[in-house]
Amino acid sequence: MIAQINIDYALCRDPLNCRKCLSVCPSVVFVCGPTKVWKGQESDSREYKIFGRYYDKCSGCGDCVKVCPANAVQLNFVPREQLARKFREERAAQLKER
Amino acid sequence: MCWVCEKYGKGGKWYLNPENFARRLYKIRKEGKEAAGADADPQAAGMGAGVVAELVKARISGDREWENEIKREALEQAYQTHFGQVVTLDEYLQILDTAYPLAKMTCGCRRVQRGMPDEENFTCMGIGPGMYKWERWPETYRGGVEFVTPAEAKEWAMMNHKEGRVQTVDVFGTPYIGGLCQCEYPGCVAVRNRIDYDFKFLLKGHFVAKVDREKCTGCKSCLGRCQFKALNLEVYTSKAYIDLDQCFGCGLCVTACPSGAIQLLDRQSMPGLAENW
Repeated sequence: MIAQINIDYALCRDPLNCRKCLSVCPSVVFVCGPTKVWKGQESDSREYKIFGRYYDKCSGCGDCVKVCPANAVQLNFVPREQLARKFREERAAQLKER
Repeated sequence: MCWVCEKYGKGGKWYLNPENFARRLYKIRKEGKEAAGADADPQAAGMGAGVVAELVKARISGDREWENEIKREALEQAYQTHFGQVVTLDEYLQILDTAYPLAKMTCGCRRVQRGMPDEENFTCMGIGPGMYKWERWPETYRGGVEFVTPAEAKEWAMMNHKEGRVQTVDVFGTPYIGGLCQCEYPGCVAVRNRIDYDFKFLLKGHFVAKVDREKCTGCKSCLGRCQFKALNLEVYTSKAYIDLDQCFGCGLCVTACPSGAIQLLDRQSMPGLAENW
């Protein structure tokens, strides 16, 4: 099974300052990157966004769901083959367009 | 010699060639849209992470040809612009005598992957004339920079090596070296992507570490030093075991050995490994 990690961005407002999911994950699945880069000033921490980037490494321990103070993390699992089929179809469509 | 040396080494190692540290100031970016807040892809944060999302998809799909195509295209681009290579502590110290100015800065990878607070996250070093302009784009240097003397930089590098971080040179506009990282798995995006997805954004170094099985006492001092999953204890003989195919030649295990039982050998002197970058 492969994890599908959904973040509710309406609830996750200041991820870089909070960083609880980043810090707790045993597999370093998350990334929290800037959505904007400014000249002459650092990006505001609220301009950062969390993604479950390495979701293929997620064990499903659920610590991120438990630790999130905003209840913004949702974790579901889908069969690997189902996801593989979906991605292979995406790839086929991509190749067709060439 | 690796392909970077062949192209930019002038007969030696490319990252010891002073020319590769002394490029003209890079261009000043345009006013306007960028100044007002340029869009960034949060999923691409960290060193060489632009294609991770696609790579993960390809990996899950099981389509090796797709995965190889993503890597081939991304690396063709990376090798012309931005990539890294592992170096030894000795080489790192030599570079600190060549490069100028030197400025301590925070690690962008560990910030975005572990949320390391800036004040605990100064492990990278920005180098070269670009550093004089760091205030133009402070997000890249989040937490500020601290200019240091070569002597201070060396002391810092030795401390980082002692603590167990791998040292690398990083290119910003091939062959211009603009950064020196001190990283670890899995916090470093480049190390992580190399180990977990065999994405060769980070090249192996010019050495490999070999165990002298006569000298190894099985004291285990080297265990835990390897950031590349190449070192373990052969329990049945009670000797350190290094997977030479997997070794990046950083030398972290070498300096941890109290018996002098691990030696760095020139990768080129080992026909079976000479092409393994």
